[in-house]
Parts: sequence; C-alpha cells; structure tokens
Amino acid sequence: MKTFRLLTASLTTFSAMVAGGAFAFVVALTFVVSVFRDVEISAWNVVASQIGPWFLLFMGVYAIHTMLPIAVAHGRTRREFLVAASGFSVVLALVMTAVEWLGFLAEGGIYSLMDWRADEHSTQLTYLLMYLVWIAVGMLCAAAFDRFGAGGTFVLPVALALVVVTRVQVPGSGNLPFIDGIPDVHGPEWHVLLAVSFVAALAGTWAIARDMPIRTRT
Amino acid sequence: MRVDVQGLTVRYGDVTAIDDMSFSLSGNKIYGLLGRNGSGKTSLMSALAGYRRPSGSVQLDGLPVFENAAATRQVCLVRHTADAADKGDKVSHVLAYGAAWRDTWDNDYALELAELFKIGLKTKVGELSLGQRSALGVVIGLASRSPLTMLDESHLGMDTPTRYAFYDALLHDFMENPRTIIISTHLIEELASLLEEVLIIDGGRLVLQEEADVLRSRGTEVTGNASDVDDFTLGLTVLSEKSLGRTKAAMVYGTLDDEQLVRARRLGLELGPIALQDLFVHLTDTVGGKR
Repeated sequence: MKTFRLLTASLTTFSAMVAGGAFAFVVALTFVVSVFRDVEISAWNVVASQIGPWFLLFMGVYAIHTMLPIAVAHGRTRREFLVAASGFSVVLALVMTAVEWLGFLAEGGIYSLMDWRADEHSTQLTYLLMYLVWIAVGMLCAAAFDRFGAGGTFVLPVALALVVVTRVQVPGSGNLPFIDGIPDVHGPEWHVLLAVSFVAALAGTWAIARDMPIRTRT
Repeated sequence: MRVDVQGLTVRYGDVTAIDDMSFSLSGNKIYGLLGRNGSGKTSLMSALAGYRRPSGSVQLDGLPVFENAAATRQVCLVRHTADAADKGDKVSHVLAYGAAWRDTWDNDYALELAELFKIGLKTKVGELSLGQRSALGVVIGLASRSPLTMLDESHLGMDTPTRYAFYDALLHDFMENPRTIIISTHLIEELASLLEEVLIIDGGRLVLQEEADVLRSRGTEVTGNASDVDDFTLGLTVLSEKSLGRTKAAMVYGTLDDEQLVRARRLGLELGPIALQDLFVHLTDTVGGKR
C-alpha cells in the first residue's frame, strides 16, 4: 500500500501538472494559429490522442525502469511493487482521462466563445482504455529491456501489436509510423480487445519482472 | 540478524561470479568482506539482499530472502547510491523514499548525517560529486537502521576527512544500534580497527572466515636490525618487508613457536601484530596462476 501511495501521489500529480501545462500551451498556440488561419481542429484532441499515449508509455517505462529498483533497494519485493504499479496504472489512466475530459470541456467553451470549429473526438471509455494499454506496454518494454538487455527487442513486435489496436477507433490519433492496413474492428469488440491488450501487457510485465535482477547502475 | 548461505552460485552467462559458496554469520557484528576486483563481493551482497534469485540458499534469520517481504524489509544494501535513488531526484526526495518505505528509517538521523557530509537536500543526485554520492549511500544505509546493513565500497570518491567521519559515524551508530553490518572495502587498514570478523573471497570462493583478532594472530610483524631480521626470517614465509636505514620490518605468515619467540627476544627483535592488508594480499595473491 505504501508503494501504491508513493507512486500515485508523486507520479499522478506530476502527470496532471504536465497535462495542465500542455493544455495551457495548446490553447495559447490555438490563439496564435487563429491569427493566421481558421481553426478547424481540436488542438486538445491532438494532445489527448497522440501525445498523451506516448507520455503514458513513458510513465510506464519510468515506473519499472526507475522506481522498481528503488523500491527493491528500500526493502520492497518485486511482487509488492508490481501489485502497486498495476493499481497505479489504472489510477493514472483514470486521472489522465479525467484531465482529458476537463480539457475538452474547457476547450469546447473557448471554441464556442471564439466561434471556432473542432473535429470529432472519442469517448471517455476509449481514452481510458487507450491510456491503460500504453502505460502497460511501457512497463512491458522496460521490464524486457531491463531484464534481457538488447535481447528485450523481442518484445517490440508484441508491444507494437498491442498499441496498434488502440489507434483504430480514436479520431485524431493519427497513424503510427510505418504501419498501414490496420484491420478495422468496430463496436464493443474493440473495447474488449483493448481491455485484453491491457491485461496481456500487464501479465507480460509480471512474468518478466517477477524475477528481474536489480543490476548495478552507473 | 543471522545470515546463512548454502551452496550459493551466481552466474552471468558463462562467467561464474560466486561458486558454490557456503558460510554463516552469527550477526550483530561489523563484518569485513574483502576481495580483489571481480572476486564476487558485489554479487554476493546482491544475493544476500534479494537483488537476484539465488541458485542455492540464502536465509536471514531462517527466512529465504528472495521475494520474501518479511526478510527484505530487514535488509539494506547500498551499492553506492544508484539503486536507492534516481539521478534526477533531489536528495530530499531520496530521503523521503526511505521514510516512506522503511519502517525502521530514522529521518532525524538521516538529516544529521546529510549535514555531517555536507550534502544539500535540494541538490539533485546527478549533480553530486562521486564522494558525495557515496556519502549519500552511507546516509541511506545507516539511517535505514536495517538489521542487516551492507555497504559496498561506500568510501569511493570520499576524501580522507569524509572517510574518517564515515568510520566514526558507523562505529557510533553501531554502538547505539547494534546490528549486522557487512562492509566491502579495498581500504583495509583504514577500516581494520572496526572489523570484528573478516570474510575473504577470491574467484567467487570463500578463502577464509575468521575473527579479525584471530586473523591478525596468523602472522607477526618482526622489526629490528636488518641483518637480524633477515637471519630470523630465513625459512619463514615473508609477506612483505619495509626498510628504513638499518632498521627493517618483515611481515611473517604463520604462528611462531616458543623457540622462535625466545630467539627473537635474544636478537632484540620487536614482535607485533600483522597488518590485515598484508594477510589479505598474501591470501589472495596469485602465483603462476595458482593459489
């Protein structure tokens, strides 16, 4: 519980602050852009659906690569940490989804006042599931590379397959580099697929990190 | 805290760092873990701390240590500061981790030590000098008040006054809070007076485990007129020699018998305890690739 509290208190607050800063930045940027041309897309949607997932991937990497060794060095077991990190990933995804929702709310007000047009964005459940998958994939990659070194590259195709699924139904999320012809999955099956991807990434992280040696760092 | 190691082996690919090692520590002492570079000290300490799954058995007070919360709570290993802190963290955050995660953490003592070693709380770990990072490791190790505290080369980069402050703090804290402390070091003579028991490892194997005083009695420093010392040590195992003018000191390995003691007195030679460092060099010295 201590590990969960520490992770949640420090990293969730940090993430929310980063998201707040990003919101202020894109609003300012939108005003600048509006001087030169009509505003036709939601700037916040670019952050929420493109930058957000990468940020959450980074947070997943940070949790395993940086915080796990620190926790073990302070007498915690890997199992305790992984339980806490799993809970933390859900909390962080929920908080970031709430921030995303607030951002769309505030941006909607500003766009109405300024009579700007915004493109479509997805549902809260979609963002939540997408964020969950990206955090868990970040943890999976960090665990694989920390444990196996360069051999951790074997996890990249798996990681890519898991995150590709998240891009299918999210408007404005863009395409991942070099990835074409993603099969289109519609309806509730897609949400189930995202949930399964999250669980699979988390299970992979557990399997790899459970026995992971804590190596000396320089 | 009692430590029992049975048949411990640690391998990195084809390299065997610890080779079927077995020993027990009765606990509540300051142990010196001595070994040359690459002898397996850090690997051994890492296995004792549960940093890696052991092949063999590592038990603390009868409990297996790997992934056993009841055992790992009792252990603190500091390999410099790298494991217990991120380079981007401020020192105050590093201490906060200790306070948050360790039930035995003494934060007042941690702040006192940080001040003693002149480590700014607002400084980031990555901005500290090597000596300051080592000192921060000492802060983490001592303030953890863990029943098994292990400090791996914690003197690295420390200047002489800081090292002496570290030794003083270590001894003082051990007297007030007795526990099992294992220190690995290459500065053997500086720490020799603190060590109660010594383990010497080499090539991943335990060379010896002995009370420090008993170990010192394994050899004798013979000092006197150079020619008398040479006569006396003829046929004995001489570990090292030092000369100053006509005076010579020779470190002799092995116990002197009564006849030799009488002869030394007759020659006017002074006999004293041998330096641990000389014994260590002798016990781990390779001759023609064989020991």
